[in-house]
Amino acid sequence: MLLISVGGIIFFTLVIECNAATFDLINPDIIANNVDRSIDLATQLAKLSYKITLKNNGKGEVKSFLFAVEPNVKDSLSYIGAQTGDSLKTSLKLFDTKVQGHADKLFWRIEMKDVLKPGETAVVDVETVYTLQLIPHPASITQKDKQLVLYNGNHYFYSPYPVKEQSTIVNLGTRNVESYTKLKPSSQSENIITYGSYEDVPPFSVDKMSVHYENNAPFLTITNLERVIEVSHWGNIAVEETIDLKHSGATLKGPFSRYEYQRETQSGLSSVRSFKTILPAAAADIYYRDEIGNISTSNMKILSDSVELDLRPRFPLFGGWKTHYVIGYNVPSYEYLFNRGDDYLLKMRFLDHVFDDMIVDEVTTKIILPEGSQNMQLTTPYPIEHLPNSLHFTYLDIKGRPVIILRKKNLVENHIQDFQLQYNFPRILMLQEPFLIVAAFYLLFVFVIVYVRLDFSITKDEVGESRMRVAGYCEKVLAHQDKRALTYTYYNEQLGKLKSSKDINAFLTSVKNINHEYKRETAHIADLLVKLKADAPDLAEKVSELQKADKHLKELYTQHQSLYVDKLVPGKIARQAFVDTENQFNKKKEECVEKINTLVKSLQ
Amino acid sequence: MVEIESMVRYVSPVNPTVFPHLTLVLLGIGIFFTAWFFVYEVTSTKFTRDIFKELVVALVAAIFSGFGVLFLLLWVGIYL
Repeated sequence: MLLISVGGIIFFTLVIECNAATFDLINPDIIANNVDRSIDLATQLAKLSYKITLKNNGKGEVKSFLFAVEPNVKDSLSYIGAQTGDSLKTSLKLFDTKVQGHADKLFWRIEMKDVLKPGETAVVDVETVYTLQLIPHPASITQKDKQLVLYNGNHYFYSPYPVKEQSTIVNLGTRNVESYTKLKPSSQSENIITYGSYEDVPPFSVDKMSVHYENNAPFLTITNLERVIEVSHWGNIAVEETIDLKHSGATLKGPFSRYEYQRETQSGLSSVRSFKTILPAAAADIYYRDEIGNISTSNMKILSDSVELDLRPRFPLFGGWKTHYVIGYNVPSYEYLFNRGDDYLLKMRFLDHVFDDMIVDEVTTKIILPEGSQNMQLTTPYPIEHLPNSLHFTYLDIKGRPVIILRKKNLVENHIQDFQLQYNFPRILMLQEPFLIVAAFYLLFVFVIVYVRLDFSITKDEVGESRMRVAGYCEKVLAHQDKRALTYTYYNEQLGKLKSSKDINAFLTSVKNINHEYKRETAHIADLLVKLKADAPDLAEKVSELQKADKHLKELYTQHQSLYVDKLVPGKIARQAFVDTENQFNKKKEECVEKINTLVKSLQ
Repeated sequence: MVEIESMVRYVSPVNPTVFPHLTLVLLGIGIFFTAWFFVYEVTSTKFTRDIFKELVVALVAAIFSGFGVLFLLLWVGIYL
């Protein structure tokens, strides 16, 4: 027994030592001079805001103070934020912390903007938002009933420090109050219940407050929200949200009458016909659909600073009813993506607005980055669970796009804040996508090239093949003949030049090239002629005639040339004689060309 | 961590407003060369076809069609 207790003590001290760094102490020097508390219960949320005037009664300086949350509501605390009470409203840093001997409570350490010197006071505004604090009472109602809810709270500010003076204002949003606890002094006027002021309340005082009142505000809970952000470096960011929605108010008892619902204004007061979703101003190509398809009974309004969607589910939502839908849109990349060189930074909302005063049970945000992104670094505005990265495969991906998956539970509107995701992306990788398409096309073409070369026939068609071969030879002969005809055109041009310039040297050099070309083409045709003889002797005959005619033409050109070179240029011929001879040559040439053309036509 | 102040807003290397024009021009050229390629493939016989010419026409057709299809996808909203 002794041994066990000794062991227990050793264990205990070890634990203290391990956690010593994370434990905070309640500073006995601090007192709360005045606390103004406001509880807003007009919606489905319980929004508590505090204006705390702190005083340093001790001798040392105070840098931070503690904010406590009651053990029974600590699980439904969704958001907490603090700012200075002056006109600047500088936001203050909060740290989750623990206090020895108060393990059941939730504590936050709030860092002051300026150090509080002895005797000084400072005003701090703290805002907290709780979900699931308004309990429908009764839990089920019929279609024509109003929804009544019950709020259980604390008459006093739950403070780790003594509070000198405090008062509370409860805003119900309605004057229809069934009952409320009346801790004196308290009063009700219209939709406001005022408690206090109460003086000299010791730390951690609890006195149960309960308010039972009518609340027909939409009780909508997003049970699951999946937000997918797909970044494309071609200038677009696509956002898609898959939403599971549930009416979390008093459940519907008995039947639902569409007739009464349409006809009587008092019918189905707590049901939800439609709600407004606010999207970024740059949102385009917006879609809203569910399992069946597009839901057309919705409206879109483009405002100067946002796009407002009036979403109307297929049926009005009563207590306990659920719906599921998908909403998506595109925004241009320059709104949210920044870069310097190959470093990119995505600054976007982790969660976006779905409807006013929303409750989100769980949100999963997936960020799909372009394929090839590396070195992802994430900065979040509040703690978010970072699930292991995965890969997403879509159009033209090889190894998949990296996906960053983030998850958080129990969120409200105050969580609509930006995360920052930095990553590295070599810009050259953008060319991968077009070249994949190019490669695919080229592969298709190569396949065709190979396919046309395959012969699947089981018999050899000799006749057809020889006909094709002959046709092929003829085509080639004609192609070479065309080129050879071109050499004559050049030849004529050069002769014309020589006639006017009388520059023999220039003429001879260019003619040399032309002749070279001519000889090559003639040799090609001669080769083909030999091949043709075996397959088609009649065509070979024609080609050899063509060759002969061409030879004749070439001779005529040579003679024409010698007329120019030997007679005209040295001036050994009379003008009239020259003109006559030239005309004769031209006539002969024309006849010869005519003959060649007829032969060419017969080969075609 | 690079500071956001030192960065510039990221815009696409190709202005999204020219996606339709790029698509039409590139795909037009691409289809022309594709047509030429296929016409050549079906009209030429094994004695007349030229492998070099086929490969070059195919390459040109593939490049223009490939980029044309890319911008077509971007134009219709399939952001790659």
